[in-house]
Amino acid sequence: MNSMHDAGSSRSFRWWHETVIGALLVIVLLVAGWLVPGFLKPQSQLLLSRQLWEFAILALGMTLIIITGGIDLSVGSTMGLSAVAFGGVHAASGSLVAASLACLATGLCCGAVNGALVSQLRLHPLIVTLATFAAYRGIAEGWSQGHSYSRFGDDFSNLARGSWLGVPLPGTFFFVMAIGFAVFLAKTPNGRFLHAIGHNERAAKFSGIAVDRIRFWLYTMSGLLAGLASLIYVARFDTAKADFGKGFELDVITAVVLGGTSIYGGRGNILGTILGLLLIHETRMFVSRYWGSDELRSIVIGCLLIVAVLAYQLVSRRRRS
Amino acid sequence: MTGTSGEKSTDSSGSRKLRIALLPKIKGISYFSSCFKGAEEAAKELGVELIYDGPTDGDPRKQAEMIEQWTIDGVDVICVAPNAPDVVAGAMKEARAAGISVITWDADGTTESRSFFVNQASARAIGEGLVNTMLQDLGPETEGDVVIISADATSANQNAWIEAMKPALGKSKLNLATIKYPGENASNALADGQDVISKYPNLKGIFGISSVSFPGAAEAVEQSGKGGQVLVTGLSTPNDMKKFVHNGTVRSVVLWNTVDLGYLTIHVAKALAAGELKDGAASIKAGRLGELSIVGDNVMLGDIMVFTKANIDQYDF
Repeated sequence: MNSMHDAGSSRSFRWWHETVIGALLVIVLLVAGWLVPGFLKPQSQLLLSRQLWEFAILALGMTLIIITGGIDLSVGSTMGLSAVAFGGVHAASGSLVAASLACLATGLCCGAVNGALVSQLRLHPLIVTLATFAAYRGIAEGWSQGHSYSRFGDDFSNLARGSWLGVPLPGTFFFVMAIGFAVFLAKTPNGRFLHAIGHNERAAKFSGIAVDRIRFWLYTMSGLLAGLASLIYVARFDTAKADFGKGFELDVITAVVLGGTSIYGGRGNILGTILGLLLIHETRMFVSRYWGSDELRSIVIGCLLIVAVLAYQLVSRRRRS
Repeated sequence: MTGTSGEKSTDSSGSRKLRIALLPKIKGISYFSSCFKGAEEAAKELGVELIYDGPTDGDPRKQAEMIEQWTIDGVDVICVAPNAPDVVAGAMKEARAAGISVITWDADGTTESRSFFVNQASARAIGEGLVNTMLQDLGPETEGDVVIISADATSANQNAWIEAMKPALGKSKLNLATIKYPGENASNALADGQDVISKYPNLKGIFGISSVSFPGAAEAVEQSGKGGQVLVTGLSTPNDMKKFVHNGTVRSVVLWNTVDLGYLTIHVAKALAAGELKDGAASIKAGRLGELSIVGDNVMLGDIMVFTKANIDQYDF
């Protein structure tokens, strides 16, 4: 009786993965706070969170795409091309507004090309974005010839380095967007269609969901977010260069998968992604502040991913049996 | 190579040790490892805690993030060898605003981002030294093309040296055909070397003006079998170039004493933090290096050194 009751109540509890990741996050924070004096100080946490926001913004789009069973490997390269567009337009016009618009527009166009190839030509997203991953970076490097653009002024760089009521501006921006994305995903029909597409695309199509249109807009939006992330990145380092965002795609996918979004599609939510992002970020900060070593970071993140997936499987297997 | 935890270390008297963070352009290449050797020596001598860390790939954004972390950790002095001055300027200015002394070494940053620059040798001495060495090795009346393989297009040092090399080359019969920017990347440098060898049939010499592009260019010449016809010279550590000097691909290696550069940097950092070094000072006493002059806000290490087959084996860095 008793065990049946347990099984029943845990089946209705849908937040196992988030709980596991949340617990890991708390453990990392406690250990870090114990070993690194001042690690938990809100002020240093907020300052170092700067290194998180570009990833976080990309991860929002990536979560939705992976839920539909797709993937976008081109986000890092899109950032590079958008940054070069920013620098090029700024050098030609001297206008920060024009340059920022060019940066966002470039991201949007890069995403739209991905979207069109995926939805109209029915090519696999992995192939499409693997191709544009190389192509966008190539265009960025060819266009800028390896040169970097810089000195956009302190006011502009304060957009990324400054804060509002103690919270960094890009952070405020991210949380507003994250709430929007979470509401869209959980509360709107289109948001719920994403899960349906990821579960079974054919069934979704037959039940009248405009799969192609949704796909197109998803990749376009992901491109726009990459343009936005690039803009913040450019402001943070007061520089625009073709190699911006190199390797970001894998870090973003890691955070999303760590956050419980199924790489096969059909399952995932924004809360999980945020927890995944925070777990990676805090672990990185802890590793580099405690051991003072850049190389160790990637090793620890890799181990963490395996631990998280194993922990989740253990919990969910026990739940099923 | 690295050695810091968050714990505040104290010396025997109980007062807190000065903590000096030394940021190289790239961690793990022999040039900066030899600087670190000198820095460690000075740290031991002065009784300060030395933190040595840097990006393994020479990414200036990672440098900026390391400076931000050290600012939060509250170190006393940060010594930066910027890969791209503009990228790290924001983080350096923030560190200064937080009351941390910031100096540059090996490569200069923007002037408002640091108080002093520990300068290994003036750009003119290095640029002209490179050209004169090449002319000496080739024969002063040689005609033909030369190319420069630099680091990044944003590398302040390399750009200053190139500016000093141009007029010196203008006076010679050599023609500067092109300048390549492979970044601090050995395989790109090798590819650029191969590229210029096939592109310019009248190529007489290659200048590899970073410690990564010099061995890359020498490797390319050696592989192409043109050792002796195309001469390579440039800036690198003796240990990296011994092989090429002994097989004749390279006749001269130009550099300064990198161990002393690291040693001097820590001396300047300590003097600054202890209040012994003020703006406008004309000289500084730096341990075994003796009294060194300060020109403007540049602390001058001294002159360039030329390593040849005759003397290169005497140096180990």
